[in-house]
Amino acid sequence: MRNYVAVVFDDTGKAYEGLHALWQLDDAAEVTVHGTAVVHRDALGNFQVDTKETHPALATAVGVGVGALLGLLAGPAGAAAGAAGGAAIGAATGGVVGATADLVRADNRDQAATETRFVLGAGQSAVIADVSEDWTSPIDTRMRTLGGTVYRRAKDDVADDVWFDDDDFYPSYLYPYEYIPSSYSL
Amino acid sequence: MGKIETNVKDALDHIRAATQELHGAISDAAAKRGGATKADLEALAQKAKAVTESAKGSISTQRDAAKKHLADGVTHLEATQKHVAESLKSSGQSFQTSVQKALADARASAQKISEAVAAKRSAASK
Repeated sequence: MRNYVAVVFDDTGKAYEGLHALWQLDDAAEVTVHGTAVVHRDALGNFQVDTKETHPALATAVGVGVGALLGLLAGPAGAAAGAAGGAAIGAATGGVVGATADLVRADNRDQAATETRFVLGAGQSAVIADVSEDWTSPIDTRMRTLGGTVYRRAKDDVADDVWFDDDDFYPSYLYPYEYIPSSYSL
Repeated sequence: MGKIETNVKDALDHIRAATQELHGAISDAAAKRGGATKADLEALAQKAKAVTESAKGSISTQRDAAKKHLADGVTHLEATQKHVAESLKSSGQSFQTSVQKALADARASAQKISEAVAAKRSAASK
């Protein structure tokens, strides 16, 4: 099954351990990882995506794409907010996105019981991944040992809420390999 | 960083790794201060050609969904080769455009080949 997964950690170092573990699971053929990104939320509530040093236009595109995906992982109503936030803030500053997933969640409490919601608190970091998995336990078990909380939405469900009319829009902004900035090398 | 080798890799895994490397190399070249050099682009062209040939040669050995995804990946690899070749002959804005198109196609090829790997793994687990 093709899923989008968000794994929330209390600090950035742990998030990179989670990212590494995810690619190790791929290496062991337990799951297939199609793309990943690491996002942070600072004390002021701003979201930032770790990107390679790259052309500013590409960094902006990553901000817009991952911003939209964050919104989608927050549930159906998050799609518009995430895309708009990612476009507005990402365009101005590159890798920064403005999806406020937890606010979207707060505004839609009635749906909270049935949706897998992605919540990133101030100071927390998350690994966002596009994965194929035949069962969920490899990722759930591994991430739990690292202290991560796993949120998951089926790609088909995301497609139903899709903000951009292109199935490949979101995975196009995730790194198709294990990218860890040198400051977080494990 | 060393990755732990936990399984025997097959040809498709190697093609996927090569495609991921190609995407990374194009991304790094695009990010270079002052722009990628002719030598960078020639190296990318050779790398793209080698990966494309390798992937093409493996299509017939794959089955069903994996075969289709790999064929789609080859289409994007061929487009990557074309855009890298165009970048060698261009400058200014058209150079930037060619490099960005090459990067987008390299990304799409990595995606399709990753889907081929997933299809193959899923079929093997049943």
